[in-house]
Formats: sequence, structure tokens, C-alpha cells
Amino acid sequence: MSKIICSAAIRGAHKIVGIAEAKQAEALKKWGPDQEIGFPNTTYYLPIIYGILGIPVKTLADARVILDKCNELLPPLVSDNVWLPYLAPALDAGMATFFAEEIIEAIRYLEEPGCYTEEEDPTADNIWLGAADDVIMRKRGVEFVDGSAPGFAAILGAAPSPEIAAKIAIELQEKNLYVFMVSDHDGKNMSEQLLSVDVQVGWPTRLVSFGPSYTAAVFAMGFATRVAMSFGGVKPGAFRENLMYNKERVFAFAMPLGTVTDEWYANAAGAINWGFPTIADTPIPEVLPTGICTYEHVVSNIPHDEIVAKAIEVRGLKVTVSKVDIPMSYGPAFEGERIRKDDLFFECGGGRTLGVELTVSKDMSEVEDGHIEMLGPDLDQVKEGDKLPFGMIIEVAGRQMQPDFEPILERQIHHLVNYVQGIMHIGQRNIMWIRVGKAAVEKGFLLKHIGKVMHAKYHQEFGNIVDKVQVKIYTEEEKVKEVMALAKDVYSKRDKRVEGMTDETEETFYSCTLCQSFAPAHVCVITPERAGMCGAYNWLDCKASNEINPTGPNQPLEKGTCLDPVKGQWKGIDDFIFKASRQNVEHVCAYSLMNFPMTACGCFEAIATILPLCNGIMVVNRDYRGMTPSGMKFTTMAGMVGGGNQTPGFLGVSKHYMGSKKFFKAEGGLKRIVWLPKMLKEEIAEHVKPICEEMGMPDFFDMVADETVGETEEEVFAFLEAKGHPAFTMDPLM
Amino acid sequence: MAIEIPNAAYSGKIKEVPLGQEGKTITFGGETCYPFHLFEGAMPHPPKIAMEVYDRAPEEWPDTVMEPFADVAGDPVAWANKCIDSYGAEMIMLQLASIDPNAQNTSADEAAAIAKKVSDAVDVPLIVWGCTNVDKDTEVLKAVCEACEGKNVIIGPVQEGNYRAIGATAIGYKHTVVASTPIDINLAKQLNILLGNLNVPDDKLLIDPTTGALGYGLEYCYSVMERIRMAALTQEDERLQFPILANFAKEVWKTKEVKLSSAEAPLLGDQKKRGILMEAMTAQCVLLAGADILVMRHPEAISLVKEAIKDLMTTEEG
Repeated sequence: MSKIICSAAIRGAHKIVGIAEAKQAEALKKWGPDQEIGFPNTTYYLPIIYGILGIPVKTLADARVILDKCNELLPPLVSDNVWLPYLAPALDAGMATFFAEEIIEAIRYLEEPGCYTEEEDPTADNIWLGAADDVIMRKRGVEFVDGSAPGFAAILGAAPSPEIAAKIAIELQEKNLYVFMVSDHDGKNMSEQLLSVDVQVGWPTRLVSFGPSYTAAVFAMGFATRVAMSFGGVKPGAFRENLMYNKERVFAFAMPLGTVTDEWYANAAGAINWGFPTIADTPIPEVLPTGICTYEHVVSNIPHDEIVAKAIEVRGLKVTVSKVDIPMSYGPAFEGERIRKDDLFFECGGGRTLGVELTVSKDMSEVEDGHIEMLGPDLDQVKEGDKLPFGMIIEVAGRQMQPDFEPILERQIHHLVNYVQGIMHIGQRNIMWIRVGKAAVEKGFLLKHIGKVMHAKYHQEFGNIVDKVQVKIYTEEEKVKEVMALAKDVYSKRDKRVEGMTDETEETFYSCTLCQSFAPAHVCVITPERAGMCGAYNWLDCKASNEINPTGPNQPLEKGTCLDPVKGQWKGIDDFIFKASRQNVEHVCAYSLMNFPMTACGCFEAIATILPLCNGIMVVNRDYRGMTPSGMKFTTMAGMVGGGNQTPGFLGVSKHYMGSKKFFKAEGGLKRIVWLPKMLKEEIAEHVKPICEEMGMPDFFDMVADETVGETEEEVFAFLEAKGHPAFTMDPLM
Repeated sequence: MAIEIPNAAYSGKIKEVPLGQEGKTITFGGETCYPFHLFEGAMPHPPKIAMEVYDRAPEEWPDTVMEPFADVAGDPVAWANKCIDSYGAEMIMLQLASIDPNAQNTSADEAAAIAKKVSDAVDVPLIVWGCTNVDKDTEVLKAVCEACEGKNVIIGPVQEGNYRAIGATAIGYKHTVVASTPIDINLAKQLNILLGNLNVPDDKLLIDPTTGALGYGLEYCYSVMERIRMAALTQEDERLQFPILANFAKEVWKTKEVKLSSAEAPLLGDQKKRGILMEAMTAQCVLLAGADILVMRHPEAISLVKEAIKDLMTTEEG
């Protein structure tokens, strides 16, 4: 931590504790040790002291005990020749500051009755509300927990002008944050500034004027501390739980406006204990490394028009967009809509014009949340039947965002745009195709509304990984060409990245237990080279899913020691499977059909089974309704594979897996395939081509039988023999 | 040759949840075996029945089930007292059906006042149930939490859409919550995890996996309930080890089979007996699936089920 900040904070803490000592001694003389002190109408005594230390301060004598604690906590002043470490002493100093300030404020209540209105609103002659009583805290505090108010901004001092103060306050209100105002700068304070430009101050508008002194900061911190005790079930004195609760749930931060004094530093250091960072408008030193707070601790010299956005970013507050603001209805019900020729007003992409859509991640500073740029004519400038080129780049930024998540987010464009009533979206990447119906245009739908949809939905559905979203939409040929070139570059990099990922290079696999609702013992193990058998979840999807929902069905698995590289067996995976399958499955070999094959739920795209006579493997896809050489149809086999049972010789697979180098590696790989339905063969031919070439058999698929050859094993056998299929010379399967 | 009876290997235990006001609590849960497998483990707290009380006089009930309550309908306190005094109710569920925006849309304050009156009037554990409209329930149940402070009322349904607001308020006023999910073990578990993350204590949580009526999807509900118990007891699924509440009376009593009169459907037998048996059979099924709290309506169905619980709890040793 910055030495300058620490020294100042520790200096400030010494001053504040000194003041508290003096006040307490003075009051003691005047009122005696048994004089009751406290904040009005609360069962939490002096809440910070009660929450952190578990000591109920009821009298002036009790306050003495706390002051002794403060002195124990106070570190010595920083000298010039000692350099490290400073963080811990500064945090202790901050804590002592708050204890001392609560005592100062409690004595103020005693000595100056009426110094605070003790109500929800300012009165005609007093704008200072003082500590929130339990009624206010219960009513307002729950909002911190249920998400209707994510947290608060504790503002110290004053903005350069009332107008700037109002702008900052309104921006914070728009984010549903409470604004707790204390202290002054140059004799001015934010609360009076707001009132001077007719901004209503009080609990109902969430602009709370706590008190004129910096010591009133304890009303804000005490509020947070009580929230944890009241709504978090945190016991008084359980300081770690209380601080962690606030760090994880109460999105608060300190925003000093004006010169940061030693006393302000002391308060800021205290707030860091709660995980609340400081965002200042003055050029004070910064404390950037992550440690106590989620991200940075002190960020400074932020212009007033950026300070709210910066604060939200530094505190890690998530933007919530509750409604998709477009003139059309929006929802899954409209996903399946088709726009036919007679209803068509406008279209783009789909081979008719150049069309491309792309989601990329950017640095936080490069994305302005909610910004939508439209270049070229929009729907109000075209006539019925027109076609235009279309290029859309969605730029996202987030502290938890990773480039690996880009394709996952991009894949959502399809259904998210389709949810708009009167719009049809087909395809993805540079084969995307959008049709807009006449009805939509009549209601005022514009292409730029697609940007609004994507902004809102990315926030709603991917809030855990996305903090900022901006969208650029182009309908000018030149611009679209630029996007196309960029997109092709990005696509090829992505494809390479996925191709380059192997089960050997990644230490972590993912589980998928989504289907345990009907197949309780089933666990999918998803590796970079083996997607889920449903075809819907690959390794990257699982990684993103886990990031978005850490307690969800996709959990990271440390693969541990490799027990068998050919069969695909790892110690860590076996251990996990044993537990997650409710002790029903002890071992799983990811690449084998015959030895401990993976269990299956019921959602597999295809089923593989052995044809013993041919010494090979056949695969049948779900859509193939005919008989197979195994003597069973897909439906019969599905009954044997599904339900979470391990059935050697039967396996659920995804189509994608058939093009993997790990496909039945234990049994010799793709070479084992002797029969496929014709439709499946055609569907995956391109996909498995590289594998065939690698095997040195580019025409391998010609040797694979299908239903036109026969539906009995004997017919297949004769065909394979005639073709010289490699399975005949391989080791026996059984 | 002697037959060896296979015993299930249990590794988990249902958490014990005390319900009701301090000093008058009844504990639920604590099972270490499948329902009534008393030869394999213990069921220290046998299942109990909560009798329904409605906030307004019901309009669409068949006479066969309205009859016992005709004199108290419209007065929830009198109704609750009748359930306890005349029918020996061990628990009460106050159904705030009128708060539904599609019904009378009773205000939160009004509903909370009713809940408060009933909670003051009864000593048995009180469940206060909303209308399942996420937004309206949030508003009303928060007010109920506040009004009934100190009574350890059981608040539900807490759904994924409002678990934060209701859960946090319930923690604040020290009530118990019922996590309600639509017939899916994963969703049930997920909501329990979320409520746990919110710091709802383990002894303040019940599961409502949704229960249909006999002949109306009960078998699916049964399987989910059974699976929850299996996961909790044999599969170390810690977040499913909570007592289960089965709220099926209102499902049973709206089916065609209980509403058709004896004259309209002579082949279905006597209307009154038919309704009572529909409810009792539904109860019997969910008992076997693992329910701890049965929400029921007809006094005669209740006495049948109480009798059945007693029989099932009898061991050779007595």
C-alpha cells in the first residue's frame, strides 16, 4: 500500500482517537460513568463496535473499554526510514478510527440533543439525519440483500459546483445506489449543494445527508455492519464474517470529493476492511493491486463525468438492465417465427447481401456501456423490398471476461435476436441472415434496436462475465467489408485455438450433471477433445457456464494423474465420478467403448456399439429410424445406453466427437468404424476428413458400410471384406 | 436357506428443523432412513399435517369440503381455532389466496394484518403461503415477516425469482422459509444452495418440490420427492437434507373428480367419500415418498392419514 496513504491514514487515526479520548473524558466528568450513550432506536448499540468486537457499548464507562482497544489497534506513526509493510497497520488504524468515531458521534447525541433530525427526511432548519434507526435499516437494508439497491456511495466533501453534485447524485440514483453524504470541503458540503439546486434529499430519494462531520461516516459503515447482522445472520463479534459479507454483497465505495485530509484517509483505510474501495477526484496516490477489495483499493484523479462509471467498475458492481427497450414484444415465444416473402420488408445477409456478426472482448477502457453506433441507412431510410449489407460488432468488456467466451456469447446472437417479434434470424458468423417483417417496421423497429437487445440481454444473461457492452452496426458496404475482414481473422484464430486445445494441454476438464434430474447416476466428463454426447456442451461452454454459475451443473475437474493415456483414464476424474455418480460408477475411460465407457443420460446425438463379427464399431444417429446391423434400432439401443448405466460395448456420443483424435482411441480410433447411416456419413464427412487423411486413408469413408449396403451384419461383413476394411486386421475387440 | 434382507446403506441424515414459536416448537426432520424404513434407521419426528385456513371465504370449493368450515369461512382466526380445537390440527397453513392480482388483489398491509392476527391466535406452528405470483408474494411476504416478528412463522413459497428479497427479510425477522421449485431435483438443490449463500440458516429451511393431485401428475412429483430423499440419505447431497413440505390440498380439491356430484357421475361413487379418499390417497403417496409436512383440508381425510402414520410408525417393539 502506498506509504503516503498509510502514513496519512495512521496520522489521521491518531488524531481521531485523540479527539474521542478527550470527548469521552470530558463527558465522563460531566455525566459520570453510568451515563447511557448510544444511537437512537437500535438494538445494535454502536453498530460497528458491536458487529466487529461483539461488545455492546451502553455507557460512557463502556466507551472507555473501547478506547483502550483503539489504542491497542493503533500502529505507531510511520517514520521515514521504515518502508514495509504498511497494509495491515493502516487497516487497523482505519478500524480504530471507526470505533473512535462511533464514540464521538454517540457523545454528540448526548451533548447536542436535536443535532440530527432522526427521521427519514431533513426538516426546515436541519438537513442532517444522523444514524438510521432500526426501522429505516430494516426497510432499506433488505434492499442491499435482495438486489433492489446494490449498495451505497459514501461521499465525503463537496463537488466543485452544485450542478456537478446533482449530476453525480443522479447518476448514482440511476444505478439504484444509495448516496450517503458526510463532511465538507472548503466549507461546502454535497447535501447543501443538492438542496440548492432543488434535488430532494432524504431516505426516500436515496440521497442521505448523514452529518456535517467526517465522523458521520460511521453511520454509513454502521449501516453496512448492521445489514450483515440483520439480513446475513452474522453474529455480533464475528468480524471476519461481517467484513466478508459486506465485501461480497454490499456494493459500497467511498468517493471523497475535494482535498483528502488525514482524517479522510483514516476513514478510507477503515472502509477497505469492509472491501469498500476509494475513488477520488483529486490526484492522491493510488493503491491498485488487488488484496482486500475485489479489485483496486484507491483510484484517484478521476474526472467528475467519469467518476460514477469508474466507481462501479472498481467496486465490481453489475449493471442490471431490467427491460429490453424496443418498440416490439420480446420473448422466447417469438423465436420460431418465420418471415415469409409476402410479409417481408427488408433483409440482409443470407447470401443475398454481405452479412456478418461478431462478438469480441475489449479492454474496459475501450468500451462505453450502452453505446450503440449505427453507420449507414437504417430501416426508416429504406423502402420495402430493399436489401443492404449488414455488419454488427458487439464489443464486450468485463473483469471476468476471457477471449474464450467470445464464441459462446456470439452464438447467443441467433436466439436473442430471434426473440424479437417480427424479426427472423438464421445462421451465425458470416452466414447470418436477418429478415424484418412489415409489421415490425410499421411499429417503428430499427436495426439499431438489435444493438439495444444485445446490450440488455448480454447484461441479463451473462452479467457474471460481462460488465460493459457496446454495439456497432453498419449497413455501408465499405464498413461491412472491413468488419468481414476482421471477422474472418477472428474466426480463424478462434478455430485454431479450439483445434490447438487437446486433453493433454488442459489440466482441467468439466463435469456436466445437468441430466441428473432423470439419470441420477450419470456424469458427463467433458474434455477439450470430447464434447458432451448431447452435442450442446463443449469444453469451452462448460468453462463459461461455470464462470456464469459457479454452483451450477458444470464443475471444474482436476484430472490428476493420468492412469491410462490410451483409454483416457485419470485419477482425479475417477474420484469425482465415484462421488458424483452416487458411488455407482468407479472408473471411466473417456476414449473407450469396451472398458469402463462413459455413462449416458439419454440425450446423446448418436450411439456407438460393436459389431462382433466385423471386429468393428457402428454408430447410429438419433434421426435414423431404420434397422441397424446390430439387430436393433436406435430406440432399442437407447434403452440400453441411457439412464446412467455403464454398459461396455454401448456408448452415447456426439457427432462432433467422431472427428476427434480421441474418438475410440482405445479401440483404434476411426478405423474401427464399419457402419454408419448414410445421412450421418454425409453429415460428418467433411468433419472427419482430416482424421482420414492422417490415417493415410483419405477415401476411408468409401469402405464404411451404410444401410444401402445392408442392415445385417453378414451383408456388412461381405462388403467390408470386399473393400479390405482395416478393422479386419486390427486386434480383436473382444 | 435363511433369507438375508438387504439393508440400504445410508450415509446422510435429514437436518432437524424446529418450527413454531419459542417454547412451543415442534421439530421436523432428523430421518436416517427412507420413509418408514424403521428397520433400517430412525424417524425421530414423524410427519405431521398442517390444516389449511383461507384468508377469505372460498368461492369454488365443493360443498363436501366446505361443509366442515362453513361456519368459520371468512374469519381466518375462527377458522384456525376450529381446526385446532375441533380437529386437533398440529399445524396451520394460512393460504393468502386473495392477494393474487387476478383474485381480490388484497394489499400487503391487509394480508400482513390477517397473518398477524392468526399468528397471535394460535400456538401451533403457522405456515403463511402466498399466491405464487413472484412480485406480489415478495411484497406481501416481506410485510408478513415484519408483522409476525418473533413468531418463527414458516414463509412460502420462496421461488427463484424472489428468494433474495423474501429470504433476506425472513433472516432479518428470524422466520423459516420454504424453498419452492417446480418438480425438478436440480432446481430444488440450486435454490437451496442460493438460500444457503444468502445465509439462511439450515434450521430455517424446508423444501417444497411441488405436489400434484392423485391422477394429475402425482407419479412425477412422487419420483422427484423420492429422488430428493435418496440424494439426501444415500448420496451425501448436503443441500437436499431438509424436511419436505407437500402442499397438495388445493390441487386435490380443484380436480374434476372431487367436484362432480354423485348424480353427475354415478360410476365414480359417492362424492364426499370420493373427495376424502382422493386427498387421503395423495397424502399416503407423498408420505411414502418422503414428505414431512402434509398440507391438507378435509378433516376426515386427515384423520385417515393420521391413523396411517400411526400404523406406519409402529414397530415390533411397540
